[in-house]
Amino acid sequence: MLARIANNLFWMGRYIERAEHTARFTNVNYFSSLDAPNKLSRDRQFVLRAIYEMVGEEDEDDEVLVEEEVLFNIALNSEKHYSILKCISYARENANSSRDLISNDFYESINKFYHSVMNYSKEHFVTRGLHDFTSHVMHQTTILKGKIRGTMLHDEVYALIKLGVNIERATQVTRILQIKYNDAEQVTLGKPKQLKKSFEWTTLLKCVDSFDINRRVYRRPPVQVTVLEFLMLNPCSPRTVLYCLNEIQTHITMLDPLIAHKKNTATFLIGKMRSEYKYKTVEDIQGDVKEFIAHTLDSLVEISEMLEDEYFYH
Amino acid sequence: MEPTNFKNLFSTYETNEKFFDEIFDKKENVREVYKKLFDLYNSQTIEEFITVNNKAKTSFFNQGITFQVYSDEKAQEKIFPFDLFPRIIDAAEWKTLERGVLQRCKALNAFIWDIYHDKNIIKAGLVPMELISSSANYLRQMDGLDPVGGIYNHISGTDLIKHSDGKYYVLEDNIRCPSGVSYVMGNRNALKRSSFGVFNHYDLQTVSDYSENLLEIMESVKPKGVDVPTCVIITPGVFNSAYYEHAYLAKTIGIELVEGRDLVVENDFVYMKTISGLQKVDVIYRRIDDTFLDPLEFRKDSAIGVPGLFAAYQKGNVTLVNAPGTGVADDKAIYTYMPDIIKFYLGEEPILNNVHTYHCSRPVDLKFVLENIHNLVVKPVDEAGGYGISIGSRLTKPEIEAVKKVILENPRKYIAQPIMSLSVHPTYIEDCQSFEQRHVDLRTFTLLGQDKEFVLKGGLTRVALQKGNLIVNSSQGGGSKDTWVLKK
Repeated sequence: MLARIANNLFWMGRYIERAEHTARFTNVNYFSSLDAPNKLSRDRQFVLRAIYEMVGEEDEDDEVLVEEEVLFNIALNSEKHYSILKCISYARENANSSRDLISNDFYESINKFYHSVMNYSKEHFVTRGLHDFTSHVMHQTTILKGKIRGTMLHDEVYALIKLGVNIERATQVTRILQIKYNDAEQVTLGKPKQLKKSFEWTTLLKCVDSFDINRRVYRRPPVQVTVLEFLMLNPCSPRTVLYCLNEIQTHITMLDPLIAHKKNTATFLIGKMRSEYKYKTVEDIQGDVKEFIAHTLDSLVEISEMLEDEYFYH
Repeated sequence: MEPTNFKNLFSTYETNEKFFDEIFDKKENVREVYKKLFDLYNSQTIEEFITVNNKAKTSFFNQGITFQVYSDEKAQEKIFPFDLFPRIIDAAEWKTLERGVLQRCKALNAFIWDIYHDKNIIKAGLVPMELISSSANYLRQMDGLDPVGGIYNHISGTDLIKHSDGKYYVLEDNIRCPSGVSYVMGNRNALKRSSFGVFNHYDLQTVSDYSENLLEIMESVKPKGVDVPTCVIITPGVFNSAYYEHAYLAKTIGIELVEGRDLVVENDFVYMKTISGLQKVDVIYRRIDDTFLDPLEFRKDSAIGVPGLFAAYQKGNVTLVNAPGTGVADDKAIYTYMPDIIKFYLGEEPILNNVHTYHCSRPVDLKFVLENIHNLVVKPVDEAGGYGISIGSRLTKPEIEAVKKVILENPRKYIAQPIMSLSVHPTYIEDCQSFEQRHVDLRTFTLLGQDKEFVLKGGLTRVALQKGNLIVNSSQGGGSKDTWVLKK
């Protein structure tokens, strides 16, 4: 496996996953704000700002955001590196460079998806197409991941894509948690009692497509502590940090079964982080939630950089 | 065949006596071998056919079998036009073709060996030395070098046409990096997907065995001392117009597709950079032109080559497929000596015809060319892709004068040939929703290895989609057809 191609496959996985999260975050935040119970949550500026924050767009605090502009930038602006269109273009570019390694079936799907996004009408999207487009992206990215699992050889090519998907997912889940945590604080003006039961926890779970299954685990409306426990530490739900860490460990082991115990390799670091989260309790992190979220993001970046050094650049 | 059958798809089909029509004979009867096929297509309504045609186009587009067109603003993706009416070559005709292209490829290989070693053919006075030494594709670096198995042109793409006399003529021997073979497979698959019923009526040869034979050819020329060779394909990258083919071949053979930046040369051995470190590479099917292969040896500004690759090749530590320097023999000037070359090395009569060629470097020929441009095609000897060609019968008087001037500036650069009329084949034309005559040629693919040879039973039938146009290159608006070689 060529190092350059390995890098491309890894990033293909990341971009597919990123497009999905951007689409869902935009969809859920926008639509749930329409009938949110309190004023700030309903405020369009508040919502647009959260969407910008999700993709890392810098905006001035006092700037009034234009809805159509924000939505266009997020979804279809080819000048914005974070737009869904750009993510899909990058993913397809990476697929192009590794066409000889991926299945025809998968390539045909990503190619068709790419063209559908490229040809999506801007006017339709910013006026009426928000739900249609974001659903399309969520649907197609899920199909892509199904094709990866169902039509490709489960070898190192597969392992690299899965590594990308899961590192990206862990990162996105944590980032979404971070943003919505801040939103919840703002909405409740820092009053701990209200914060505990904020409406934003429901939105948060929906942003990571986990509202229904969270209900099955806790059987009551989401509150601060259950959401935190669920998204960070639940090993069974496929959209949690711990679940992704387990996946990351499985797939890095597929790549390099022999160096698992070598100190300070990417494999070692992943194993260490996974063990840490496996035996953590929500009580451990409740003291300083923000600090823990920041720590999680830093660790994920460190792992990603380590992978690049070890596998992608020779 | 009753004239009523010419309705529907063939309603505006006009025959032209000047050309050899592949499916209609001079009396406008359908040739025996095409009869079933013609009935099948002719029994469809135009609506049915349009549906199938659109499906085939979408299938190519979704599979990403496309090329980039750069227009004013941004790059656009286009599919290579594919025609649903296949071309048929019967078994007897094919047998001669196959023997003929193999003979040519072997003769060319012997010629290249000779040119880079003893130069016997020059000593014998059959080919002039200055033709070799003045050729831009002659590589001094190849002098005296012995490639594994003595093979230079492992992969050849011979271009043939059928003239109005009904005989095949070779137009070009492409022995540098001939492309198009992936479209042979792509066309066959597309036709199977869209019109599988037509295959029930004919017994035809497969084209799906090309990749496995290519791998065997590559492995047969592994460097000395290597047991199981690691073979790769090197591509200039995703932006190359033939990238689809490079990826297709790598995938169907099951070997890595590398770029120059993935390879590194250490102590005259070639390695590729993998996720678990460096891995030695033994045979490279290169889809990069000679001059870009190695910036240390050839063009210094090559960003797609591998520094030190040629030194590794000289040492015999890696095999390049095709060998560098083969371009000296598929030069259009050398082409004209092919009958002599075949006789000299193989002691055989040429099986396939050569188009008579006038060399502007010879005073007698030059005089004839200047006086008869209106009846000739003038070509530069070293351009590929159909560029720089002047077709005399199409030129106005001032244009003829201009061509004369260009020739006289550098006679060595030009040859001229009688205007060959490419045969025509019914081709679906979207604009008029009907079949019309269009000119076609045929590219065959021949593989030579150590004690192994292979000719793909089929080929790429290229179609000039512009009415009356003779140039079939895809870069100039050509399309293609599936090509059937019958088993008997």
